[in-house]
Amino acid sequence: MPHITPGQAYGFFTDTSVCIGCKACEVACKQWNQLEGNAPSFLDGFDNTGRLDAENWRHVQFHDDVPDETLSEGNGKAWLLMSDVCKHCKQASCMEVCPTNAIIRTEFDSVFIQPDVCNGCRNCIAACPYDVIGASHTTGIAQKCTLCYDRLQNDMTPACAKACPTESIKFGPVEELRRTAVERLQTLHAQGVTQASLYGHDEKVYGGLNAFFLLMDKPEKYGLPDERNAVLPSRNNAGGYLTAAVTAVLGVLGGLIALRRRREKVSSEDG
Amino acid sequence: MGDVQHFAGPPDWLWYILAYFFLAGLSGGSYVLATLLRLRGAPGDEPMARIGYYIAFPPMVLAPILLALDLGQPLRFWHMLWNTTPGHPGVNFKYWSPMSIGSWALIVFGAVTTVSFAASLVRDGKLRLPLVTWLDNRPFNVFGSLFGLFIAGYTGVLLSVSNQPVWSDTWALGGLFLASGLAGSAALMLLLTRFRPEARPSAGMLSVSERLYALLELALIAVFALTLIAAGTQGQVFGLPWLVLWLVVLAGLIPGLYGLATERLSPNGAAALRHSLAVPLLVLAGVLALRAAVIFSIQV
Amino acid sequence: MTNHWRDIRHADLILVNGANPAEAHPVGFRWLMRAKLDRGAKIIHADPRFTRTSAVADTYVRIRTGTDVAYFGGLINYILQNRLYHDEYVRWATNAGFVVKEGYAFKDGMFNGYDQEQGVYNTKLWAYETDDEGHARIDLDHPRSVINLLRAHYQRYDPDTVARITGIPREQFLQVARQVGEMGRPDKVMTIVYAVGLTHHTTGVQLIRSGALLQLLLGNMGRPGGGMNAERGHANIQGNTDHAISWDILPGYLRIPAPGQKDIKAYLDESASVKQHPRAVNFFGENYRRYLVSLLKAWYGEAATKDNEFAFDYLPKPAANASWISIFDQALRGKMQGILLSGMTATSIGPDSNQVLQALSNLKWLCVMDPFATTSSEFWRAPGMDPAKIQTEVFMLPATHWIEKDGSFTNSGRWAQWKDQVLPPEGEARHDHWILAELFLRVRDLYETQGGKFPDPVLKMALPYRNPRKPELDEIAQEINGRDLRTGKRLSTFVDLKDDGTTSAGDWIYTGHYPEEGNLTKRRDGVQDPGRNDPTGMGFYPNWAWSWPANRRILYNRASADENGRPWDPERPGIAWENGQWAGDVPDYPPTTGPGPDAPLPFIMTGEGVGRLFSNAVADGPFPEHYEPIESPIANPLHPQVSATPVAFRYDERAGRPNRFGTPADYPYVATSYRLTEHEHYVTQNVEHLVQLQPEAFVEVPAGLAREKGIATGDRVRVSSRRGKLEVRAVVTNRLGPLNVDGRTVYQIGIPIHWGFVGINTGQHWLANALTPFVGDASARTPEYKAFLVDIEKI
Ligand SMILES: Nc1nc2c(c(=O)[nH]1)N[C@H]1C(S)=C(S)[C@@H](COP(=O)(O)OP(=O)(O)OC[C@H]3O[C@@H](n4cnc5c(=O)[nH]c(N)nc54)[C@H](O)[C@@H]3O)O[C@H]1N2
Ligand SMILES: Nc1nc2c(c(=O)[nH]1)N[C@H]1C(S)=C(S)[C@@H](COP(=O)(O)OP(=O)(O)OC[C@H]3O[C@@H](n4cnc5c(=O)[nH]c(N)nc54)[C@H](O)[C@@H]3O)O[C@H]1N2
Ligand code: SF4
Ligand code: SF4
Ligand code: SF4
Ligand code: SF4
Ligand code: SF4
Ligand SMILES: [Mo]
Repeated sequence: MPHITPGQAYGFFTDTSVCIGCKACEVACKQWNQLEGNAPSFLDGFDNTGRLDAENWRHVQFHDDVPDETLSEGNGKAWLLMSDVCKHCKQASCMEVCPTNAIIRTEFDSVFIQPDVCNGCRNCIAACPYDVIGASHTTGIAQKCTLCYDRLQNDMTPACAKACPTESIKFGPVEELRRTAVERLQTLHAQGVTQASLYGHDEKVYGGLNAFFLLMDKPEKYGLPDERNAVLPSRNNAGGYLTAAVTAVLGVLGGLIALRRRREKVSSEDG
Repeated sequence: MGDVQHFAGPPDWLWYILAYFFLAGLSGGSYVLATLLRLRGAPGDEPMARIGYYIAFPPMVLAPILLALDLGQPLRFWHMLWNTTPGHPGVNFKYWSPMSIGSWALIVFGAVTTVSFAASLVRDGKLRLPLVTWLDNRPFNVFGSLFGLFIAGYTGVLLSVSNQPVWSDTWALGGLFLASGLAGSAALMLLLTRFRPEARPSAGMLSVSERLYALLELALIAVFALTLIAAGTQGQVFGLPWLVLWLVVLAGLIPGLYGLATERLSPNGAAALRHSLAVPLLVLAGVLALRAAVIFSIQV
Repeated sequence: MTNHWRDIRHADLILVNGANPAEAHPVGFRWLMRAKLDRGAKIIHADPRFTRTSAVADTYVRIRTGTDVAYFGGLINYILQNRLYHDEYVRWATNAGFVVKEGYAFKDGMFNGYDQEQGVYNTKLWAYETDDEGHARIDLDHPRSVINLLRAHYQRYDPDTVARITGIPREQFLQVARQVGEMGRPDKVMTIVYAVGLTHHTTGVQLIRSGALLQLLLGNMGRPGGGMNAERGHANIQGNTDHAISWDILPGYLRIPAPGQKDIKAYLDESASVKQHPRAVNFFGENYRRYLVSLLKAWYGEAATKDNEFAFDYLPKPAANASWISIFDQALRGKMQGILLSGMTATSIGPDSNQVLQALSNLKWLCVMDPFATTSSEFWRAPGMDPAKIQTEVFMLPATHWIEKDGSFTNSGRWAQWKDQVLPPEGEARHDHWILAELFLRVRDLYETQGGKFPDPVLKMALPYRNPRKPELDEIAQEINGRDLRTGKRLSTFVDLKDDGTTSAGDWIYTGHYPEEGNLTKRRDGVQDPGRNDPTGMGFYPNWAWSWPANRRILYNRASADENGRPWDPERPGIAWENGQWAGDVPDYPPTTGPGPDAPLPFIMTGEGVGRLFSNAVADGPFPEHYEPIESPIANPLHPQVSATPVAFRYDERAGRPNRFGTPADYPYVATSYRLTEHEHYVTQNVEHLVQLQPEAFVEVPAGLAREKGIATGDRVRVSSRRGKLEVRAVVTNRLGPLNVDGRTVYQIGIPIHWGFVGINTGQHWLANALTPFVGDASARTPEYKAFLVDIEKI
């Protein structure tokens, strides 16, 4: 691959149709980023990680829709396997709400939480529509995928993409990845895999996701809001403040009415 | 229209935040009521106004502590105000982030309540610091009240400005928290007249406002519920076990609504004081329960 | 593998049987994906369970465990009946036309030549009709020609019979058969990928052979994108086999001498193949003596002379089978003093672990060489064991982990790749080869000081290392490569090995990996510059590491081109005769010998010169036949009287102990055991990140059965066989499901193997092998880990 150059947008194209759920990405990420991981616990046998959080910056989802048939089609659609990660949204909800400006956009156009700026208020957790961020019990701060910022700065492919054996995780300049993704989609459609679709490759979702996906089922199946539901937290500012303002006016009015009633009463008693 | 999809994870804002939301509502509400009493009431209302200013202050001392303790890195609470990003030093102020404005509002309101608190002490002859009484003038109280209204209400907006189910499905939370904060403040001030008999003449006013705020709160609960039904998330916040908390919320509205039904807006101060322990506590429990239901139901 | 990992991307169709490469070989799996992505190849995965491989395969076929012979047999029948085989290839490159000697018979499930008493076949009776020179008679139309016998044998495997046995419904089987049938065309090629889902059966060898037969018929052996590809186990299990980790061979697949073979000639008569066709090269058979003598020279040096038959006497000639189960069987019989376990944890891995624990308890001593405490080094702590009753003295020798040493790994594609030491050894850990060297020298001291019955093999062993106590792996690699003893120079090809004692080679197939120019397994000319490093564009990368034999990447590649040396598919050439020489891969053929009707036959290693559709090299039948597993829910529909293979080795019975097999009445469900991506057997129970991914033992339960039993995911269940039990979590899923077998509904239960009572989560003390039967396959004595009967209940 050509050198990784600052000033260009980098990201992932995660093609779930070729993911084999091996979790190499999960482990590679932990290894490189020195994440300890959570205490072992049994969840459903294949996914015992559960979700993205401070200790899991990649998480492989398993959705078992395998039909009870003696012959069935695989092709990534019966047992949905998907390696989830921060989407490095163009319009990032987390970044929008962060009060400390700890979340920045790097020279690689990735969304990065600066560990020594973040104070662990967790506002970003409530904001991220993809349930990506977690608060670390050890560092106290919000943590998530950094797009291997340190590796990129040293011209190295992110650890998860490097480890992925099937190239389900493709790393590269976003522009290039988008072209690859469209081609891949066309191939799949030509092969009759009609339910394959791209998610986040164009601006319809949060202005475009730098880490986008090829999915084999509806986005919500994977915990991804569809286009209509991909909305930013700030949408609620106006309505919220307006209601509060109206309430404030009514509240003050209420107080004034109470005062007036009391004055009336006092004056009637006086009179 | 299909249900709104929510996949955001819980920020684990739990007990500290509940306490803060509760205190912020009472502090802001009390300050506003105190100012109304001082500005638009009779001279006899001044003792009650001072109760309000007294109440407004301690929560603002506790609030930053609670908020800092809730942080993963408490010693970095000041990062809310000052950007420490290398190469980009400067003030952090994001008008579209309620948490960011809230931090500043908290600073300002903290100062305001401190001044008004001290001025009340001076006026009550407990302290000699003439400067603060000079500061604590009417425009100052009006200015402070605006922040009081903000502090009591923005916490709801803060929740809404997210992608959490329930929180972000509604635009009623700011108003709702404010209304309940006002109701709670009225109740709390009534309660404290026990320790300041000379404030009793103002009880009638508070008990009438209590009724009005209960009505306002009820209306906003209805709006809240309707917005959630539209989004399809009502089950999460009104389901079990949270229903129990909502019963407490409603119980907290009963005194006000009952008064409204039976006595309308007749400012019967004596009646208000007759139940002066149990009733205000019930109202305050409702204020707490409301915030608890909204905060906890989507996080645990 | 006959081919290699990277080559899989040339396939049009990939049959995955008895393997779960997405989970067990995730990195190699990329090449299956590349075939799919780059050329639209199809993957058909036949497995009892829908696995992570099935998840990305084009077609998943649910098959009853242990029935792949019926599946492959059905395909063979379909191809023969519909004449879809690659006719030209079959005539030229297989023994289809060889006439089988009279007397051959197959009746009611039995081949001719069965010795009731010994429980073995006399395989010599499965032979060809020969002329005076020992050459086979060839007549394709003869009623006893191989192809005609093959037709007769497999015509019983019609789609309905296949369905009755395997549980794959007729139509669905035909759907697969049609796709496979396409692959007999010269411009198409299919590969079969398999692993221990085929080998872990009492019919293991036959299961694999049936795949090979299919590939020969389709003309896919020797071709890029074709072949019969075993995905091997541990990173270096191929190297292990090459260097004779198996008891029945010497390095380089030379047979272990047998009692009664007094000299080399007697040994060769029994071991080396003889030329059975005038145009057969019979390379192995012809050179057997050179390889043996060179091996003896490597081992015994000066002490191996012409006069003493190159010390042939020194080689052990074991009278008894010494395969894995046999060792523990001997211990059970009380005939074993002690056992040295290195890099292998007997307690966890062997069948019927309760018996294995008993076997260990019978020992005087047990020595474990391992970087970690294992279920063997701690076996007395196994749940239910009473340490007071165990006399065994246990020694733990801390060995370095492979990551702490250099040396080479040989991968499934036979590439030997040198690696460097990554971490320095920890604590007192020593390299295995240093421990063994020390042990050997101390034993030798004992022989020297105290004498012994036959001290020579020990005293005269050559140890040509700078420090015999601490040999370097580099020195050992050179020794394996071998030398010309007159010049002292290392050889660059096994063609130069001699049988007169002037050359040495520790393993002839590795001769050439470390010639005078240096250690070729360190070469890394790869994808940095494909244009230069892969001149053919076929992914051979000849200067990447080194593969045996002779750096050849595809075995039997002469068969990738037709009789005239033209590749069957010019798009995917293996080798081609161009301008008076073979171009492409390193040819599996005399390099300067041209093609043509008079030229040597393509399969140079066999005595026939061709691939064998009929063979007497295996112990359980010249043609693969379907037999039921030892524990099976049904009687064999083909021959109920001979349901399981008559030549499986039933250890308990043979030793006079009662058999520990269950019946379908008591244990109505079929179980199979397997790996998960997240763990490497037992050793990764020490790795935090992996224990987090798979913290607890569980079994996979079909949804239908779970409904019957009221079991939900996460519930604890008890799974029991005649031999033991597990009490673990259940994972309920449709990925396993019911099969209609011979008119009955059969449920299969899945049992991952990875847990034991050592490691991070020690509460997970259940050994999957508590359930498995103590029985071995006829040829290799491989245990039947993959098919047995159990019962299941909720607890
Ligand atoms: N992650 C991981 N990888 C490993 C290992 C590990 O422990 N963990 N071990 C390594 C070793 S030593 C080995 S030998 C290889 C083994 O590699 P594999 O053979 O691929 O591994 P298994 O999981 O034992 O079995 C493969 C599949 O065979 C299926 N199966 C069982 N019985 C039958 C049958 O009769 N017919 C068919 N068609 N399928 C059947 C099982 O359901 C299973 O899915 O893996 C190597 N790779
Ligand atoms: N039921 C059932 N049983 C099975 C199987 C199955 O599918 N089902 N599969 C079978 C198969 S194919 C296999 S290969 C076996 C696997 O069984 P094992 O090979 O016993 O399994 P591992 O856990 O890989 O054990 C290797 C041991 O080697 C140690 N080790 C690693 N490196 C070194 C080294 O350099 N030197 C030394 N001395 N030790 C080292 C590790 O610490 C570990 O304890 O299990 C078999 N058992
Ligand atoms: S996915 Fe979430 S954490 Fe990542 S950039 Fe988008 S909003 Fe932020
Ligand atoms: S937790 Fe850190 S990154 Fe997240 S919003 Fe707060 S300060 Fe910003
Ligand atoms: S890019 Fe780096 S930090 Fe992000 S998931 Fe991959 S390995 Fe982890
Ligand atoms: S490494 Fe690649 S194939 Fe494996 S789980 Fe992650 S994305 Fe899927
Ligand atoms: S564990 Fe090692 S040998 Fe096995 S697939 Fe992974 S990289 Fe390859
Ligand atoms: Mo293995």
